[in-house]
Amino acid sequence: MSSKTDYNHLIQADRIHGSLYTEDAIYEEEMEKIFYSSWVYIGHESEIKKAGDFVARDIGRSAVIMVRDKANNVNVLVNRCSHRGNNLCNEMDGNKRNFSCLYHGWVFGLDGELLDVPYPDGFTKDKKDHGLQKLVSESYRGFVFAHFNEPKVSFDDYLGNGKKLIDRACNLSPEGEVDLSGGWVRQKFDSNWKMLPENDTDGYHVNYVHKSFVQVIPSQYNEFVGEESTNKGIVRDWGGGHTEIEFAGGYVNTLDWLGSNVEKSKSYVEKMHKAYGKEEADKRLFDGPPHSCIFPNLFLAEMNIVIFEPTSTTSCVQWSTPMFLKGVPELNFKLIRQSTGALGPAAFLLADDATIAERAQKSLSAGTPWCDLSRGIDRETVREDGVKESRMSDETSNRGFWHHYRSVMLGEK
Amino acid sequence: MSQQVAFEVTRELEAFVIQEAKLADTGKYTDWHSLWAEDGIYWVPLREDDDPTVKVSHLFDNYSRLSTRVKQLSTGNRFSQVPISGMRRVISNYEFFEEADDKYRIEANFYLPEYSIQSTHDFRIWSGRYTYVVSRKGDSFQIHSKKIVLVNGVEPISTLSFLI
Repeated sequence: MSSKTDYNHLIQADRIHGSLYTEDAIYEEEMEKIFYSSWVYIGHESEIKKAGDFVARDIGRSAVIMVRDKANNVNVLVNRCSHRGNNLCNEMDGNKRNFSCLYHGWVFGLDGELLDVPYPDGFTKDKKDHGLQKLVSESYRGFVFAHFNEPKVSFDDYLGNGKKLIDRACNLSPEGEVDLSGGWVRQKFDSNWKMLPENDTDGYHVNYVHKSFVQVIPSQYNEFVGEESTNKGIVRDWGGGHTEIEFAGGYVNTLDWLGSNVEKSKSYVEKMHKAYGKEEADKRLFDGPPHSCIFPNLFLAEMNIVIFEPTSTTSCVQWSTPMFLKGVPELNFKLIRQSTGALGPAAFLLADDATIAERAQKSLSAGTPWCDLSRGIDRETVREDGVKESRMSDETSNRGFWHHYRSVMLGEK
Repeated sequence: MSQQVAFEVTRELEAFVIQEAKLADTGKYTDWHSLWAEDGIYWVPLREDDDPTVKVSHLFDNYSRLSTRVKQLSTGNRFSQVPISGMRRVISNYEFFEEADDKYRIEANFYLPEYSIQSTHDFRIWSGRYTYVVSRKGDSFQIHSKKIVLVNGVEPISTLSFLI
């Protein structure tokens, strides 16, 4: 796909052009270059524990099924009959012995192989060549990513520092694994999908968009909404489009991030001490989970996992589920309550984020404006490992997203 | 077991539901809050038979969280409801049941047109089934639970920061 869009002009060091959110041609190119020709997040292995368990997802323009087969492999298959293209599986999740098409009864195995064609005499082609399209997929600590094509960039190179961020989440479980079995709330945004990863690692808006939250709800975020001089939050650009707000420096007590403390969460603390030793466990329990976006569509949202799903130039869906910690089921209900409180259409936080994104979408579509992204550009620092850091209110994270986006759209990555 | 409710009581219960709906429609947050009992549960599940202790909900408020919700809306800074959505819900197909402990269960269908003036200016339709459990309090009733099952609860849904 050759581009008529000059991404070097639209995405500059300190500003981006509003048309990136509003042009249908750009959206189409993103579907091709980001969601079809790059690695994307699909789902987590804990969502499909037994053979035959599946979840259905929409990735870019394609519907896919992530399914565990009888040999315990996780397969990511295109959810479309290889015969005449009918939607194969209409359920969001469930368990099946195989997938059969309602239209003409073709039957596919859990690995996508074509098993049966009714009235076989009339179909003389080799069934082996007519299985479901299977994506290249890789898993890191249960997080499954996939690619529709032969990847130009290896999975390891794509995920890069994202591995450390996923590690930080998993390392909060005494068994080293997270479990995403709490179900997904899906919130519709009438805005371009890129406003989600941008906003989720934007530390500047919290005091404004979430003013009413700060006014009435005491939370761990209280340490991050005062004067800039006392705010110990940090934003990071980890490279590869992976970005972060780091809260650990601002926490006061162990387990602040859980809205808890050592006394109230005794059994959890004990399990962590037993698994990792006191010193290491205490560090993990103080620092808490990541608040990090993995390019392009995964958000490790502290004790939640979020997926961004673009649905058109001007609409998208944010999926959210609580991040349960394997080995600590006693926390699950608390995590469900916190997830419902923070994320989703009725939540104390996200409802207002959606309104702000929708207002931006509406005003950007009216003209050809530039959006400034220069905040902190002169005070951010580059660590030895190349990771950029700055104060929580700075746009270092957003610049990291956009500059990686530009390289993907230019075909460089 | 639940049983049918006397006609004159059903008229009272219906009037109470209509009053509750009017307060929600017009953003009379404090008055709406005063209708709730202290064991109140305000709940929008994804699916009717979900267990809210095991699966996420669109909204699952106990009385404490419900009170916080009302406080947040009352700040004037809950931007997803500034200004309040235009709403005029219609409630019908009522069924009334007597429950244990002198409680009543009311089930009804609702149809809620919402003009979302805050951002998109879209006109949206919300629809589903209300289930209230109420008991007498003074010359009126108090709400012990209100469960709202949306017809499209499993789909992606738009901002739901108004009182549904």
